[in-house]
Amino acid sequence: MADLSISVRQVGDVAVLLPAGFINAHTVRDFEDALEKLVQDGRYMILVNCKDLNYISSAGLGAIMGLIETVREHEGDILLSNLQDNVFAIFDTLGFTQLYRVFSDEEQAMAAASSERQS
Amino acid sequence: MDHAQFRLIIPSQTRYLNLVTGLAKRASLVAGLDDAAAAKVSIAVDEAVTNVILHAYGGEGEHSVELELRFTEQALEIHIWHSGLGIRGDQMVLPDPKEYIKHPRKGGLGLLLMSRFMDEVQFKADEVSGLNECCLIKKIS
Repeated sequence: MADLSISVRQVGDVAVLLPAGFINAHTVRDFEDALEKLVQDGRYMILVNCKDLNYISSAGLGAIMGLIETVREHEGDILLSNLQDNVFAIFDTLGFTQLYRVFSDEEQAMAAASSERQS
Repeated sequence: MDHAQFRLIIPSQTRYLNLVTGLAKRASLVAGLDDAAAAKVSIAVDEAVTNVILHAYGGEGEHSVELELRFTEQALEIHIWHSGLGIRGDQMVLPDPKEYIKHPRKGGLGLLLMSRFMDEVQFKADEVSGLNECCLIKKIS
């Protein structure tokens, strides 16, 4: 099995990114490329569903950090859902749960994105 | 538990990170840490070895990174040696998370994660061998 595989699907205005496996310095380029492609395509509302993400290092956090300003400048956002305990611990320990909106599941994240579009 | 130690030498290539972090996690469980603590040790080791590969060796893959795991009754120690550029403890500047959140940017988080997830993080240079060392210590509670 590859260290990381990434799939993307579009649900309404939201691009849902599903990384599966490990994001570290070896695999981060693929993750970064996937995020950058969405931004280049003008898809600024992004949900990273982490249900199959077993692990993320600071390299992965850096990839998200590197694009957060760009998507927010375009009235989009990067949302996170379904974080496993160890992945949540990394975000939470660094205080990043204040910077990103984290949802327990994709349904809640989509509802939040939907109500935002309507407001 | 008897004191025990063993060593692993890997090429300075990120493709081996997963191997090393898996080992660190398993070693943590053997040492008596719980799953959550083992995951944190695993992340800290990832960050330390990544720093060696990307920064100490500048991404050059033909060097070696040597890891030693030491099990004692009080702690799990992970020593990481390399012959690249070293940093001293007084050069270890941790970003302020609050400032980081106000001004997001890439990089700088690895040391912070290491220091938050381990009980001790030490950087040393051995003048005799010429090797630099990063030592990570997790206490067994």
